[in-house]
Amino acid sequence: MSTNESAESIQEQIVALLPRLRRFARNLARTPHDADDMVQIAVERALLHLDQWHSDARLDSWLFKILRNAWIDEVRSRGRRAKLFMPEQAGENVGEASMEREIDRLSVEAALARLPHDQRLAVSLVLVEGLAYKDAADVLEVPIGTLTSRLARGREALAALLRPPQGDRS
Amino acid sequence: MSVSDETLMAYADGEVDAATRAIIEAAMRDDPEIRRRIEEHRALREAMQGAFSEVLQEPVPQRLIDAARGHVAARGHNAARAGNVVDLASARKAAADAPGRRRSWQPIAMAASVLLGVALGYLGWHGSNTWVKTNSRGELVAGAGLAEALSNQLSEDRSPGLVATTGLSFRAKTGDYCRTFSSTGANASSGLACREDDGWKIKLLAQTPNATSNSSNFRPAASADAPAIRAAVEESIDGEPLDRAGEIAARQGGWGRSSRR
Repeated sequence: MSTNESAESIQEQIVALLPRLRRFARNLARTPHDADDMVQIAVERALLHLDQWHSDARLDSWLFKILRNAWIDEVRSRGRRAKLFMPEQAGENVGEASMEREIDRLSVEAALARLPHDQRLAVSLVLVEGLAYKDAADVLEVPIGTLTSRLARGREALAALLRPPQGDRS
Repeated sequence: MSVSDETLMAYADGEVDAATRAIIEAAMRDDPEIRRRIEEHRALREAMQGAFSEVLQEPVPQRLIDAARGHVAARGHNAARAGNVVDLASARKAAADAPGRRRSWQPIAMAASVLLGVALGYLGWHGSNTWVKTNSRGELVAGAGLAEALSNQLSEDRSPGLVATTGLSFRAKTGDYCRTFSSTGANASSGLACREDDGWKIKLLAQTPNATSNSSNFRPAASADAPAIRAAVEESIDGEPLDRAGEIAARQGGWGRSSRR
């Protein structure tokens, strides 16, 4: 069946995109484990909703969008669980994004992690993943002007974070 | 002339049209400051391109590859933490059309939400049918003890001696009420059940294998928040979970769809 074959070829394309999905997820999640869990959830959702993917759209953008939505759900459900699931364990996993780990690793990753998440996503999609503005705006479901201004502010903040403290040139 | 920083950024990113590019390139020739700013944008772009690049070199966990190919899989490190999660509907289907390839990519009907759970061999079948059992149609349903908990307990109940604790209650997009639950006994398992006309159907079940042998940082029966269950909740929930008052109202209505407003 040709639909089966095309679904299988999409599955293989998704397999090929897994490294990039994992990278993008690491920009969102607190830990690499959480990131991989989100990738798995996103991939499972994508397969269930393959009918919603239009083959003229970029597969990577579509998957990034699903991943981002999975992350939003995750953040929301963490909030819910804190209220409703197992209250005695609510503290676990929360705030695990150790500040100290970020501080002793003076890297672009560390700087990126300190940006507000809107800016972090814009920077991550355009500068790390190399998406065009229009595709990144589509992933984030915002107008391109919004994407551009988040990107500009994010870059400015990054430049300030990455600039060596004594390096006041000029 | 002055060029906005956003425009310079877009230029550095190759996102301007030909006319704007010509203007900027003319400005660059005249103005070292503009050259410097564009250079900064480019340098940052290059620096960011390498960010997280190590993850690209890492081997991709097999569970993700399996997920992308639509194969039933245990959930990586969560399998260790939360037990094996298996899609029962597809497992059955796979058994039915074995050795053919399972067409798992096809929207398993409405089953987006209905990642059915698990490990048929293990479950409830150790002795009594109090935990889960199959009904006459071969569907997995709550046994007497679990059904009692699902029908009567509020999520906040944590009294000792309960067969199960209930976690989160919500109305699914199907109109049915659904609840997550965890066993409190030695054979830790947890899952998601929805109240249908003829009882509590088990939509997902995750098992925590041999909780005592796990290293101590794995919590024992905490799998009601296993990613699979969370994902199933997120897929099927309509609106927000019920609060205490909502649970009481639903309980009064026997968790029936008829109580839908």
